[in-house]
Amino acid sequence: MSPIFLVASVITLVSALMCVTRRNPVYSAVWLLVCFLSFALHYLALSAPFLATVHVVVYTGAILVLFLFVIMLLNLREEELGDEYPLSRQLGVAGLCTALFGTLAWPLMSDPALRPFATVPEGYGSVESVGDVLFRQYGLAFELVSLLIVVAMFGAMILAKKTLWNSAEPNRG
Amino acid sequence: MTPYLVLSAAVFSIGAFGVLARRNLLIVLMSLELMLNGVNLALTGFSRIHGSAASGGAAAAPHGQVFVLMVMAVAAAEVAVGLALVIAIFRTRQTVDTADISLLKG
Repeated sequence: MSPIFLVASVITLVSALMCVTRRNPVYSAVWLLVCFLSFALHYLALSAPFLATVHVVVYTGAILVLFLFVIMLLNLREEELGDEYPLSRQLGVAGLCTALFGTLAWPLMSDPALRPFATVPEGYGSVESVGDVLFRQYGLAFELVSLLIVVAMFGAMILAKKTLWNSAEPNRG
Repeated sequence: MTPYLVLSAAVFSIGAFGVLARRNLLIVLMSLELMLNGVNLALTGFSRIHGSAASGGAAAAPHGQVFVLMVMAVAAAEVAVGLALVIAIFRTRQTVDTADISLLKG
C-alpha cells in the first residue's frame, strides 16, 4: 500500500463518516465535498485520469452545487431539521452496516485473484481509450443515457414547479 | 488491488448507514451518493485488474471505466429528480423528515 493510498483512504473514510453523522446538511455537504475530492485521488492512482477529471466536474461541480443550492433554497431552521431516530435504532443500523461491510469485504480479502496490482499498458484510462470503448461498443447505452438525462431534466422541472403545488392543501398528518 | 475494493465496501456500508439511520431527506440523498461512489470505486478497481490481466496480448480496453461514466450520468439524473422531490415535499408539507412523509405506509 502506498502512502498516498493510506492518506487518501483515511480522508475518504473520515469525511464519509462525518458526512452521514452531521445534523446540519450544510456541514454534510462540505464533508461530502472532501470525500469526493479524495475519490478523485483514488481514481488517479487506479490509472483512470479521465475518470478522475469527470468525477470532479460532475460530482463536485454539478451534484454538490445542486445540493448546496437546494439547502440554501430551503433555508431550514433548526426546528425544521426534524428529529433523529433514537440512539438504539442508530446503533442497531450501525451494527447491521458493519455486518454488511464484513460480508462484502471478506470474499474480497480472501480472493487471491484480486490481489495483484500489476502495471497496465500505456494510455490505459486516457480520454482516447475510454472514448474508443464508449463509442465503439456502448453507443446504444450512451444514447439511452442522453434520453434518461432529458427525461430527468423535464421531470425535475415539472416536480419543482410552484404552480403544480399551489392547489394542494398543506396536509399535516 | 484488495485495499481499494475493501475501501469501496467500507464507503458503501457508511452510505447504507446514512440511508437507514438518518431522517433528514437531504442527508439520505447524500448518503445515496456515497453508496454510488463506493460502487464506482469498485468498478474502477476491477477495470484496473482487467487491464493488467490483458496487457500481454491485445490492447486492454477500460470497460469498467465506461460503466463508471454511465453510473455518474445516472447519479446526476437521480440527484436532479431527487432534489426536485425534496423541494416539492417541502412546499406541501414544510418538512424534510422522512418519518413525517409516511402517508402511503400501510
